Amino acid sequence: MIVALAVTPPAAGALLLLTGRRADRAAPAAGVLVATAVLALAVAAAVTCPVARFAVLPGWPGGLAVDGLSGVLVVTVASVLLAILVFAAAYGYGARFFGLMLLFAGAMLVTVTASDLVLLLMGWEVMGAMSYALIGYEWREAEPVRSADVAFLTTRAADLGLYAAAGFAVAGSHSLALSALGGAAEPWRDLAAAGAVLAALGKSAQLPFSFWLSRAMAGPSPVSALLHSATMVAAGAYLLLRLHPLLAATGWAGTFVAWAGAVTALLLGAVALAQRDLKQLLAASTCAQIGFMVLGAGAGSVPGGTAQLVAHAAVKSLLFLCAGAWLTALGTKQLDELHGAARRYRLVGAAFGAGALSLAGLPPLALWVTKDEVLTAAAERSPALFAVGLAASVLSAAYAAKALFAVWRGTRTDGARVPMPMLARLPLVILAAAACVLGVLGLPGVADALDIPGETRVNGPELAVSGVLAAVTILAVRFARTIPAPAWAADWLFLERAARAGIVRPAFALARALARFDDRFVDGAVRAVARSGPWAAGLAGRGAELRLDGLVTGVGRGARRLAALARRPQTGLVHTYYAQAAVLLAVLVAVAVLAGW
Amino acid sequence: MNENPADVAPELCVLIAAVLGLVNGLFLPRTRQWRVALVCAAGLVAGLVVAAVDATRPDLVVFDAFVVDPITHVTRITVLGATLLVLALAAGPVRDHPRESEHYVLILLSALGAMALGASSDLLVVVAAYLLASIPAYALAGFGKDAHGTEAALKYYLMGAFLGVVMLAGVTLLYGVGRGTAYGTLRAGLAGAPSAAVSAGVVALLAGLLFKAGTVPGQFWVPDVTEGAPPAVAAFVTTVPKIGAFAALLRFGSEALPPGAGGWPALVAVIAAATMTLGNLAAFGQDNVRRLLAYSTVSQAGYLLVPVAMAGRTDLARTALLFYVAAYAVTNLGAFAVVLAAGRDDLAAYTGLLRTSPLLGLSLVVCLLGFVGTPPTAVFVGKVLMFGAALDGRYAWLAAVAALNTVASVFYYLRWIVPLFRRPDGALRPARAASAVAVAAAVFSVALGVGAGVALTP
Repeated sequence: MIVALAVTPPAAGALLLLTGRRADRAAPAAGVLVATAVLALAVAAAVTCPVARFAVLPGWPGGLAVDGLSGVLVVTVASVLLAILVFAAAYGYGARFFGLMLLFAGAMLVTVTASDLVLLLMGWEVMGAMSYALIGYEWREAEPVRSADVAFLTTRAADLGLYAAAGFAVAGSHSLALSALGGAAEPWRDLAAAGAVLAALGKSAQLPFSFWLSRAMAGPSPVSALLHSATMVAAGAYLLLRLHPLLAATGWAGTFVAWAGAVTALLLGAVALAQRDLKQLLAASTCAQIGFMVLGAGAGSVPGGTAQLVAHAAVKSLLFLCAGAWLTALGTKQLDELHGAARRYRLVGAAFGAGALSLAGLPPLALWVTKDEVLTAAAERSPALFAVGLAASVLSAAYAAKALFAVWRGTRTDGARVPMPMLARLPLVILAAAACVLGVLGLPGVADALDIPGETRVNGPELAVSGVLAAVTILAVRFARTIPAPAWAADWLFLERAARAGIVRPAFALARALARFDDRFVDGAVRAVARSGPWAAGLAGRGAELRLDGLVTGVGRGARRLAALARRPQTGLVHTYYAQAAVLLAVLVAVAVLAGW
Repeated sequence: MNENPADVAPELCVLIAAVLGLVNGLFLPRTRQWRVALVCAAGLVAGLVVAAVDATRPDLVVFDAFVVDPITHVTRITVLGATLLVLALAAGPVRDHPRESEHYVLILLSALGAMALGASSDLLVVVAAYLLASIPAYALAGFGKDAHGTEAALKYYLMGAFLGVVMLAGVTLLYGVGRGTAYGTLRAGLAGAPSAAVSAGVVALLAGLLFKAGTVPGQFWVPDVTEGAPPAVAAFVTTVPKIGAFAALLRFGSEALPPGAGGWPALVAVIAAATMTLGNLAAFGQDNVRRLLAYSTVSQAGYLLVPVAMAGRTDLARTALLFYVAAYAVTNLGAFAVVLAAGRDDLAAYTGLLRTSPLLGLSLVVCLLGFVGTPPTAVFVGKVLMFGAALDGRYAWLAAVAALNTVASVFYYLRWIVPLFRRPDGALRPARAASAVAVAAAVFSVALGVGAGVALTP
C-alpha cells in the first residue's frame, strides 16, 4: 500500500506528461481521480502505518515507512493536492499542469515516507526539479523562466547540504537510515546535522534563502497554493521535525534552528507587512509561518511544529486559491486595486476572511492554537526566544489584517461580475472550514492519539495573552492611517540583491578571470602547439619533404626502369630465349654447386 | 607390387572419356560435336567423384611409380575441377569448329599428363607425364591457325623441346650417380654421390619442370603463348599443367633428394625470388590484359616456389603449396574467364565494367584482389601459409622478398581495378557462359578463403 501511495501520483503524472497535449481534455478528470485515490490511500496508510523495507543501493537497507508524523503529513499532502486539483480543474489547466503537479506531490509523498537518505534525496531532488518546471510554467515569457532559475539555483545550492549530510552519515554511522543519524560518531554527527539544517533552511525559504519564495510567485496561483502549503517549503520543516533527535543530540543545532526560525518569523513578518502585492504578502507570510515550524523543531516541540504545518497548509492553500480566483476574475493582485473584491465575490471573500483571521491568530481559529503551542515550547527554552516569537505573532496578525481589510474595504463599481465556476467553490469552503477547526491538533491528547513523538503543552495564560494581542493588532490595523512600509522590508531585506552582490557577481568575476586565464594561458598553449604544427610542417616541407619526395620519386623511377629492364629478355626471338635459358641454367648450376658445397 | 588399376581410377576416367570423345567425334556431324564436350565433362565429373572417394583412403603406391597420397589427391581434384571450368570456357569459342572434338580431347589428355606428373615417383614416369602434358598443349596453342597462334605454338614447342632435352639429360645424370630412377632409390643413392654432379643433374631436371611451371628460366613462352593462343587455351596452359608441375617439384624435393643435396633450398629460393621479381616488374607497363595476366602468373609461380623450396624443411610446406595451388587455379581461371567474357584484350576496354556489368566487374575485382592476397579470398590464406612456411624454414629473406613483391604487385592490379569504377565510354556485351564461370570462380575463391579452416583440416 505504501509503495502504491508513493508510486501512483508520479506514475500518473509521468503518464500525463508523456501523453502531452492529446490528454489535455481528459487531464483534469484524471488528475482529480488520481488525487482522490491518493487521499484514500493516504488515509488508509495513516491508519495502518505500513512499512516497506528494500534497498535502493545494494547493501544499504532502507525503504518507505509511515509513522505518526509521516501519517499526518501524507494525509495533509493528499488533501491539499485534491483540493487544489479540483480548483484547477475548474480553471481548465492542461495535461502538463496536472502531470507536473502530480509528480510534485508524489515527490513530496516519497520525501515524507522515506526512511533512508537515498530515497529522501530522490524525493527531494524530484520535488526541486518539479518546482522549477511549475514556477516556469509560463515558459514562453522571460520573467517566469528567470524566476524559476533563481528559485531552482537557490534551493539547489542549499540541497548540497543534504548530499554532504548523506556522506557524513555513511562515514559516521555506516548507515543511511534517518533514525541512525542521531547516533553517528562525533565529528560526523555535527557535520551531518549542519548539512541537513542547511538543506532544510534552503528548502523552506528561511533566512538567508527567503528571497527565492518571492520569485516563486511567478508560477500560477494553484502552484503557489501547493508549493507554499503542503510541499516544497513544508519539506524543509518536515526534515527538521523528522531529524529532531539529531538536532537534540548535537546541542547547538537545536538552538541554532530555533533562532533561525524565530528571526525569520520576525523579519519576514515585517517584510509581509510592507508588501503591496497580495501574492508577495502571502509569500513572505509563508516564510514567517514556516519560521514558527522551524522554531518548534528547534525548541523541541515536534507536535507543535507538526500542528502548525498542517494548519498552515490548509490556511495558506486557501488564501492562495482565493488570490488566484481574484486574479483571474479581476486581473490584479495589487492590494490597492483589490478593494471591494471580497464584497463582489462574497463566498471567496468569506473564505479569505476565515483564512486571514486564522493566519492572524485570532481565537479560536486554528493557527492561534498551533502557533502558541510552539511559543510555549520556546518560552521554556529562553525568554528572548519567546519575546521574538511573540513579536513575530503580532506582526502576523498585522499583515493578515492588512490583507483582510484590503479586500473587504470599499465597493467595486467597475466592470462586470464574471461568474465563478461552481467546481472552484467547493475546495474553498472545505479549506476554510479546515482553517478554522484544525486547531484541535494542538489540543493535548490529539497529538498523542496521532502518535506524534514529544509532549503537547499548552499554556493557558499565554494563549489568552496572544489571543488578546492578535485582536488588538487587528483593530489597530483597521483604524491605522498608514501602515509603515520601509524599503528594506518592501524589497525582502535586499536578500536577492545581497545574494547577487555577494555570491553571483563574485562567482561570475571568478569565472571570467578563469576564462581569461583559460584563453590566455591554457588556450594560448594549445594555440601555440597548433601554430607550431604548420611551422614544423613548413620546416619539414622545405627540408625533409623534398628529400623524402625525391626518395619516393626515385623509387618509382627506379621501379619503372627495372620494369623496362625486366621486359628486355622478352625479345620474341626464340634463339635469344635459348641463349638466355642456357646461360641461366649454367648460373643455376653454379648456385646449386656453391649452395651444396 | 600393387598393380590394381582401380587405384588410378580418376586417371582412367579421364583417359576413357578422351578416347570415347575421340571415337564419338569421328562419327558425329560437325554441328553435333558439342556432345563430345558432354562426354568429356562426364568423364571429369566421374574422375572428381572417384578422386574425392579415394582421398578418404590410406596412402598407397601403384606400379612402383605412382603414389596415391594427399599431394596426388589435391592435384587430381584441382586439375579435374580446373579442367571442367576450362571446358566450360572453351565450349563457346570452338562451337561448330571443324575440329571441335579434338579440342576437348587434347585438353583432357594434357590434363591427364598434369595429373600423372603430380603423382609419379619415378623420374622416367615424370618424363612421360611431362611429354603427355606438353604435346597436346602445343597443338592447342596453335589451334586457331592464325599467325599469332602459330607463332605462339612454335615458340611453346621449341622452348618445351629444348628444356625437355635438358631435363632428359638431367634424368640421365641423376640415374648415373644415383643408380636408379625411383625416388626411394635415388634418395639412398644420391646421399653418397659427388655433389657437383648431383647439383648439375638437379638443375637440368628442374629445367623441364620449371618450363611447365612457367618460372625462370622457362618463363619465356608464358607471355607469348598467353597473348597468341586462343584465350581459353591460354587459361588452360597457365593453370592446369602448372598444378602438376608444382606437385612434381614438391614431391621430387621432399622424396627424392636427401636433405641438403643439390643445394635444394637455396637453389629453389633463388629461382623463386628471381621469378616473382621478374614477373612483377615486367607486368608494370603492360596495357594488354592477357600479357598482364601472363606476367601475373609468372609472379604467382614465384610465390608458389617458396613452399617448394621449403619442401622437407617444414611440414607447413606441403599444406601451403597444395592450398595455394588450388587457390591460384580458381583465381587465375576466374580472371581469364572475365577476359573471355569481355572479349577484349586492351586495358582501356575495361573502363566502367562495374557499371555496365556489375556482376562480371565484381568477379574481376574479387579475382584481382585475390591475386594481391586480400582477405577473405583463398589466395590470401595461401599466401599466409606460404609466408609461414618461409619463416618456419628459416628463410626470412625469402619471405621479405615475397612481401616486397606483393606490395609492388598492388600497382599493376590496381591499374586494372581502378578504371572499373570509372564512367563507361562504351557498351560491353559479356559472353554469358564465360561470365557464369567467372562468377562461379570468384564465389568459389571467396568460399575457399572463408572456409579455409574446413579445407585445411584433413
